[in-house]
Amino acid sequence: MFIVVTGGSGSGKSFYAEQRVLGFGGKKRYYIATMQCFDEESRIRIARHQKMRSGKGFETLEWPVSLENVRVSPDSTVLLECMSNLAANEYFDGKRHTPEEVALKIERGLDCLLHQCSDLLVVTNEVFSDGTAYDPETMQYMECLGKVNQAMARKADEVVEVVYGIPLKLKQ
Amino acid sequence: MKFIIGGAFQGKTQAACSLAKCCREDLIDGRICGFDEPERAKGIFAFHEYIRRRIRQQCLPEDIAGELFKKNPDLIIISDEIGYGIVPVDREDRLFREQMGRIGCQIAALSDTVVRVTAGIPVVIKGEWK
Repeated sequence: MFIVVTGGSGSGKSFYAEQRVLGFGGKKRYYIATMQCFDEESRIRIARHQKMRSGKGFETLEWPVSLENVRVSPDSTVLLECMSNLAANEYFDGKRHTPEEVALKIERGLDCLLHQCSDLLVVTNEVFSDGTAYDPETMQYMECLGKVNQAMARKADEVVEVVYGIPLKLKQ
Repeated sequence: MKFIIGGAFQGKTQAACSLAKCCREDLIDGRICGFDEPERAKGIFAFHEYIRRRIRQQCLPEDIAGELFKKNPDLIIISDEIGYGIVPVDREDRLFREQMGRIGCQIAALSDTVVRVTAGIPVVIKGEWK
């Protein structure tokens, strides 16, 4: 089962995704954390997420880039959070990439994961609707994430947009 | 409580008025109303601006959603759905966006009806409008 959970900032995506993971029963659970800790604000953010998933039986794998190298045990449930951070880490790694290159690398990484685990849930982010006059680099990053989101949605069994905690099934 | 959300300039207030059979003048304006007015109003539009003002004045109660629900369980709340863009550079904007998201989740949970308006078209995403 491959489920993509999307939504705006602070929409309750993570909580929803975690509840879905619990619904897959007692399989081994992994949490792939893609956010890097740069400052106090990200530290607080990460702590909030850690608190929310504590007691839910996740093994956390800190994986900011190169998803293709993740190894998980068969028949496990994997929650990856969040694709917008992973794409940013890959895109802004100090080298020059096209959005296509980064999107393809991430898609390959996702394929590796899908082959290993039993269920994969990916939390991504709707960052595409709040004004479009960003600098070219940011626009390219958005293009990259947009491509990844579309590719995931094509492969996914389910795509859910969470709106203020309310799940809307976009693909089922 | 009823919660009407959607992007800016989508006809949310008009949709709310036609669903609630009232007019804009029956509602209060979140950009200028007194902080205690939503406790007794029929409805409030620009609710996100009301929250932004309370954050700026550092007088946002911990559980604003719960308080409003307790004091005015029939309140109609009309709010821009924000948080669908790149993380803002400005710290205040960033924190507001995050906080508004959390408050929106709480209001949605307490509301019997949530309606999302796009291009003037109301889509009920929770409950039903009665």
